Amino acid sequence: MSEAQGLHTKEFTLNVGPHHPSTHGVCRFVLQMEGEVITSVTPVIGYLHRALEKICENRTYEQIIPITDRFEYCTAMSCNMGFSLATEKLAGLEVPERAEYLRVIMLELNRIASHLIWFGTTSLDLGAITPFLYGFREREDILDMFEMTCGQRLTFNYIRPGGVSKDIPKAFIPVCKKFLDAFSAKVDDYERVLTENPIFIARNKDVGILKPETAIAYSVSGPSLRASGVKYDLRRDDPYSIYDRFDFEIPTRENGDCYDRYIVRIREMRESAKIVRQAIEQIPEGPIRSKVKMNFKPPAGEVYCRVENSRGEMGFYIQSVGEKMPLRVKMRGGSYNQLQVMPVLCVGHKIADLVAIMASMDIIMPDVDR
Amino acid sequence: MERNQLVSYIKNKFQDTVTLLESGKGESFFQIKPEDLLVFSRAIRDDERLGMDWLSCISGVDTGERFEVVYSVASVVNRIRFNYKLVLDYDKAEIESVQKIWPGANWHERELWELYGINVNNHGNLTRFLLPDNWDQGHPLRKDWDAPDFKRMPEK
Repeated sequence: MSEAQGLHTKEFTLNVGPHHPSTHGVCRFVLQMEGEVITSVTPVIGYLHRALEKICENRTYEQIIPITDRFEYCTAMSCNMGFSLATEKLAGLEVPERAEYLRVIMLELNRIASHLIWFGTTSLDLGAITPFLYGFREREDILDMFEMTCGQRLTFNYIRPGGVSKDIPKAFIPVCKKFLDAFSAKVDDYERVLTENPIFIARNKDVGILKPETAIAYSVSGPSLRASGVKYDLRRDDPYSIYDRFDFEIPTRENGDCYDRYIVRIREMRESAKIVRQAIEQIPEGPIRSKVKMNFKPPAGEVYCRVENSRGEMGFYIQSVGEKMPLRVKMRGGSYNQLQVMPVLCVGHKIADLVAIMASMDIIMPDVDR
Repeated sequence: MERNQLVSYIKNKFQDTVTLLESGKGESFFQIKPEDLLVFSRAIRDDERLGMDWLSCISGVDTGERFEVVYSVASVVNRIRFNYKLVLDYDKAEIESVQKIWPGANWHERELWELYGINVNNHGNLTRFLLPDNWDQGHPLRKDWDAPDFKRMPEK
């Protein structure tokens, strides 16, 4: 347009962040702009680097569980789960039946809680305040259930190698049932606010299209991948725990734009609620943790274990030399690769779209920086 | 493909390149020579029965005697996965970049360079990453790394 008038815009550099509300943590972008259009994006990370991997080399396996809580605090349960699974494989630990069910209940509730944060913050980033309040209202109910079980609301230290730390109290199942009964109607409410909203659609439709081949090449995982039409969910395709016993759908969409990522996450909340309902109906009585020695020493060996959390693939690589502390723990979070693909998605879009794309990819920074 | 099938398929197909490691607990770990990295990675991605189009993770390890670099790969199409690793001497700590095969390797390799000091050839963007821009205290994930406020846990 500027050329039509014989004017040229000089390319300039624009700094976004690190303390910007839409970066969900502390992330900085260095943008090259031509007018309002982005020509290149350089994410600058490391502001939340806490050297978790180095600390893990200096702790026993049980002491690492609370550290994994801090790795990705929106879904701390799946961090606990990923590390526990890897340790169990390494040390050959058994998990009692009841513990498996408790794990699934907590993991899925945590997935809903995390998607609710995403739902709230996404709409906040796009200028809508009401959904934020809605999302955090229901999240509060879930956090109450967590608090009831393990005394914590954010960093649970709940799933341990060989089982879980505490059984659920008697009041848990009625509270959970009540929550699930009401939840479906609540999701309908969310959808009523955003799904058909013309402003929301204008901001999200055909923005930040992620092609399936790009997504796979960059190992973008989780809902962001499934919104591009790739039906890849580790709960189904690399099964762990007892997910094969439940009946649930894996929502996918074709377009891979911000709007599709929104739809996939909304549907995933409904599916998670379905899993929790089945799990609380089937849960058997019994022990919640197998006998695990204090400061146990897994035999020398190595393992890479991954679980599907709300942001995608969360992997743990552990190498043991038969000591009570691991030689190496590598954490791989979903957001790491999602942030890496941001430059591909943003080029050619307006600066306001950067915020929409970042929000729809559901990137949080502790996951990236570790 | 079942895990046993997968292991024997890879062992047959790449018999001159790979060694199966005993250290994998319930997982398949192979070892390859550093000079085979690019050829092997491309071959497993392009092989029809494997189709490893997904790079989960690259983990560096300092065992105290040498470096190891572990590649965890998976296939979205065939629903399989395995890991392979390179062993590097301290004085020859360099690898080739696999970005041409999996573009997502970029940041994982940058991390290797920064935290372990493993040089990545043909990477193109080896700059400060997780650590502060003015960091001058070496490579923190090395076992011999030490700092005044870093204390190891006592053995007892």
